[in-house]
Amino acid sequence: MTRTLITIIAALLAGPLLGGLALGLDRILTARLQSRIGPPLLQPFYDVIKLWGKEKIVVNIWQAFCAYCYVAANSIALVLFFLQSDLLLILFILAVGAVFLVVGALASTSPFSQIGAHRELLQILTYEPLLILVTMGIYLETGSFKITTVMAWDRPLLIKLPFLFVVLGYALTIKLRKSPFDLSTSHHAHQELVKGLLTDYSGPFLALIELGHWYEVVLLLGLCSLFWATNPAAMVVLVIGTYMAEILIDNVTARLNWRWMLGYIWAMGLTLSTLNLIWLYVS
Amino acid sequence: MRTVTDIITAENLTVILILLPFAAALGVFFIRSARLQSVVVLVTGCLLIASALLLIPLTPFQFSPRPILGLSLNTVVQSLDFLLLVIILYFGVRHRKVIITALALFQICFLAYFEFFMIRGHQPSVIFLGDNLSLIMILIVAVVGSLICFQAIPYMREHEAERNLKKSRQHRFFFVMVLFLSAMNGLVLSNDMVYFYFFFEITTLCSFLLIAHDGTPLAITNALRALWMNSLGGAAFILALIGIYAETGTIEFQKLLISGEFGQGILQLSLVLLCLAAITKSAQFPFQSWLLGAMVAPTPVSALLHSSTMVKVGVYLVLRLTPALNHTFLSQCVALFGAFTFISAAALAVGQSNGKKILAYSTISNLGLIFACCGLNTAESLTAAMLLIIFHAVVKALLFLCVGAIEQHIASRDIEQMRGLYADMPLTALITVMGVIMMIMPPFGMLLSKWMAMESAAANIYVILMISLGSALTVMYWARWAGTLMSYPFTGKFKPERQPWLTWIALGSLCAGAGLLSIGAPWLYLKMVLPVLGGQYLPPFSTHQGILDNPTGVFAVVPLSVVAILGLFVAILAVRKATDARVVSPYLSGSQSTTPGMFVGPLNRLVEAGAKNYYLSTIFGERRLTPWINIGAVVLLTLMAGGAL
Amino acid sequence: MFKKLIQKSRIKSPWLLHYDCSSCNGCDIETLACLTPVYDIERFGIINVGNPMHADMLLVTGTVNHRNKKVLANLYDQMPYPKIVIAIGSCALSGGIFREAYNVVGGVDKVIAVDVYVPGCPPKPEAIIDSVVLGLQKINQWQKEEISHAAGSGPGQSGYINRRSR
Repeated sequence: MTRTLITIIAALLAGPLLGGLALGLDRILTARLQSRIGPPLLQPFYDVIKLWGKEKIVVNIWQAFCAYCYVAANSIALVLFFLQSDLLLILFILAVGAVFLVVGALASTSPFSQIGAHRELLQILTYEPLLILVTMGIYLETGSFKITTVMAWDRPLLIKLPFLFVVLGYALTIKLRKSPFDLSTSHHAHQELVKGLLTDYSGPFLALIELGHWYEVVLLLGLCSLFWATNPAAMVVLVIGTYMAEILIDNVTARLNWRWMLGYIWAMGLTLSTLNLIWLYVS
Repeated sequence: MRTVTDIITAENLTVILILLPFAAALGVFFIRSARLQSVVVLVTGCLLIASALLLIPLTPFQFSPRPILGLSLNTVVQSLDFLLLVIILYFGVRHRKVIITALALFQICFLAYFEFFMIRGHQPSVIFLGDNLSLIMILIVAVVGSLICFQAIPYMREHEAERNLKKSRQHRFFFVMVLFLSAMNGLVLSNDMVYFYFFFEITTLCSFLLIAHDGTPLAITNALRALWMNSLGGAAFILALIGIYAETGTIEFQKLLISGEFGQGILQLSLVLLCLAAITKSAQFPFQSWLLGAMVAPTPVSALLHSSTMVKVGVYLVLRLTPALNHTFLSQCVALFGAFTFISAAALAVGQSNGKKILAYSTISNLGLIFACCGLNTAESLTAAMLLIIFHAVVKALLFLCVGAIEQHIASRDIEQMRGLYADMPLTALITVMGVIMMIMPPFGMLLSKWMAMESAAANIYVILMISLGSALTVMYWARWAGTLMSYPFTGKFKPERQPWLTWIALGSLCAGAGLLSIGAPWLYLKMVLPVLGGQYLPPFSTHQGILDNPTGVFAVVPLSVVAILGLFVAILAVRKATDARVVSPYLSGSQSTTPGMFVGPLNRLVEAGAKNYYLSTIFGERRLTPWINIGAVVLLTLMAGGAL
Repeated sequence: MFKKLIQKSRIKSPWLLHYDCSSCNGCDIETLACLTPVYDIERFGIINVGNPMHADMLLVTGTVNHRNKKVLANLYDQMPYPKIVIAIGSCALSGGIFREAYNVVGGVDKVIAVDVYVPGCPPKPEAIIDSVVLGLQKINQWQKEEISHAAGSGPGQSGYINRRSR
């Protein structure tokens, strides 16, 4: 019981700390790739704390509710991840957060918010089947959806699920809001619809959403790390390698439109998933 | 000296559940005072709920009824069956629809052949059988059905006032609605397939009468379409019955399931025909057009027949047959077909903006998922199927009733007209959003069942591909609707609007009921579902501390529910604190005006800041996709039938 | 204490909204040049957000005329406190060389209160960065005054409301 409690608290603290550091690293690397120096490593923390201290303004009171639900859902998902629970359940809880984000954005009548919300719905439509298929691949290999089984598996998952790892990479690109799929909202300098989905959030509520995003980043990178669960060093290398690849892709590609995203990701993603699943089924 | 326990027997309760609504229906038809009609409906509903609840400790049970007034019940049912088919024939002739006439004649001939030449003198041993599956269906019909009838009372009053009807037609409406409850109860308790067929045909007729209730040309056309498609199901059923009796010598479900070889031949063909009957009843592709057309009926009809109960008859039938389908090619076909329907209906719902059509496609989609679970035929998937039946019935009824209330207020069913409804009807909009949340989010029951369905489908590549794509599509159309309801330009105080108290009772009970059932899902599984699986299957889950656990997956129902409730409180407190926040206009590039929802346009004129949802009609449009989907469905059905030959 | 942390973070993370009233774009180009690798203001945590609801500082260039005075006021209203207004270039200061045109109202301070003025036509990027630093110093000053005053807002606090008085 105490062990569970300690794990829960560790998960709730790890999300902001690791997530903030990851995003800080992201900004520094992006800046270096663009021949700039970039902000200090702790910059995301300064941003969130500054936002928390701003005046509360709302467009629609429902937004406050949705911001809290978003961060709550993502933190619960991370807690379940640390408790080594069921992967499919964790994905569904992440989806709860995403839906609340969309509903909160639809609650504002600004066209930027509305279009951003619909693009976010299309993004969810794109990555959700792929994440489920990745989980199915893990099930076909290890015989269970539980993370405890994955951690106890004697072979690294990457050997048997390479295509599914690439598919996870596609979903990761969309979820981390990286080019070419940062359609609904994107980080800082890459705006298209002003801030898209997040246009009408501000102050403390924007801080909560940013915090929720950090939980999500830690969770997804944790999901990547499961693909080499046998060796902690290899786990770290895999996560850092994937993250750096995402940042590189972000900086060398331009944003594309939703038809391209839906078409390409579904075509490539479903083909690769099917190939990998058939391979797993046959062997 | 008879005590209370002597009176409350399963037999007596069955009589109440089947005959009481029949008597009440006759009563409602002949009583012309609207108030008395309401009282009769209310009392009947309460008695039905009480009987269903009293039946819980008495399950499982079985019996054969004694003769009434010297006539054996078989004779009564036989004659009423023919009378029913003659009535359908009459409607076919009167509206000059050849196909209805042909199907009715077909059924009369084959039923006559069956009754008078094949089973003459055959006496089935157990006519009525109540196991937990029947009990689940009876509880749904009694509780959800009664609540819908309660809400129908103020709804129909308003409905008739809108149409300025000189002569009230409510007596006809409630007659058929209450009769339908009787038919559903009889259907799920029948072990004798002839009785099942009889009640099946009553539900077909009720559906026809209710869809045609308004009497407009469109309503009659759609009602006739529903009639011929359901009659097709009836014709398939009677053929299947002939085949089954010829091969096994029994007309009872229980005896059929233990009778042996289902893999080949006439018996397999009969099972295919039964599945076909189920598919037409549950409006799966390619027979979905009758359900879409049935949406012209008053909304309580849609809630009762076309989402909670009548369309569940098809899945109930297939669920009954699952021990017979075990390890057959037919089972695999049913799984594929169900998954195909799940994704196709979800895709079609994305392209819809009519609220009731979205609910209709969502119903077809979820029924497809239940078919897929039945087809997969593992203990886990059958559990998922039963939980889906329960939760879908409750939540979909809630959503239909909400749409009914909204539709009467804004005189439209289009989601675009419901934009920002929260400003106008806060409590109804909130309950609708809660209904949507209960459809797609954990820890609620619908998602629990979907999770279970996915985990059990994981080994079947085709099925899981279709289910994962379909699941993502469902998020899209539900989230879009929920967001649209809340989309209004400024904050205001929460003041619940005025609605008839019966409406609040119905909506509130369904909402609270869905929530309580979701938290109590582990106990629902233990007490209701597990006994149905019986000895043939190992229990798929262990429950401890309210967590459903097995070696492949774990779903912490009660802990997550507790966390969700806490989270809800925190979020509500936060919203309370945020009411003193400064309200600003949404970002409109600085051109916003002081009038909410407008911005300053060219020549300093005010322009409305309008928005519309993405319906993606070039990809998911109904007209574009339906032909392809129908072709796919026909191919799969051919596969299903071909596997039997 | 958390309050100190918030105050420090405000200095470390100013987000800008750049609005061009009706500038010739000379000042705008100089402002955007600050984002380039040569000057790189992201080193200081500064981001150019496009949305007043996310911004701490409003950088205004160009003259105010009868069309955009309402837009400027709306954008200023949509920014949450604490906020700073920086007028860049001589057109924003006082109307510049277009001061006497028929459609020009004047400088930015004819519509909203300005905290920092940056003269030049156009000013150099270094001057613009310096103006942001001056703005941050002003925020710091307000924060110090809030600590020393128990309640109530002091004089000259145009863009800052005392949270304790709410």
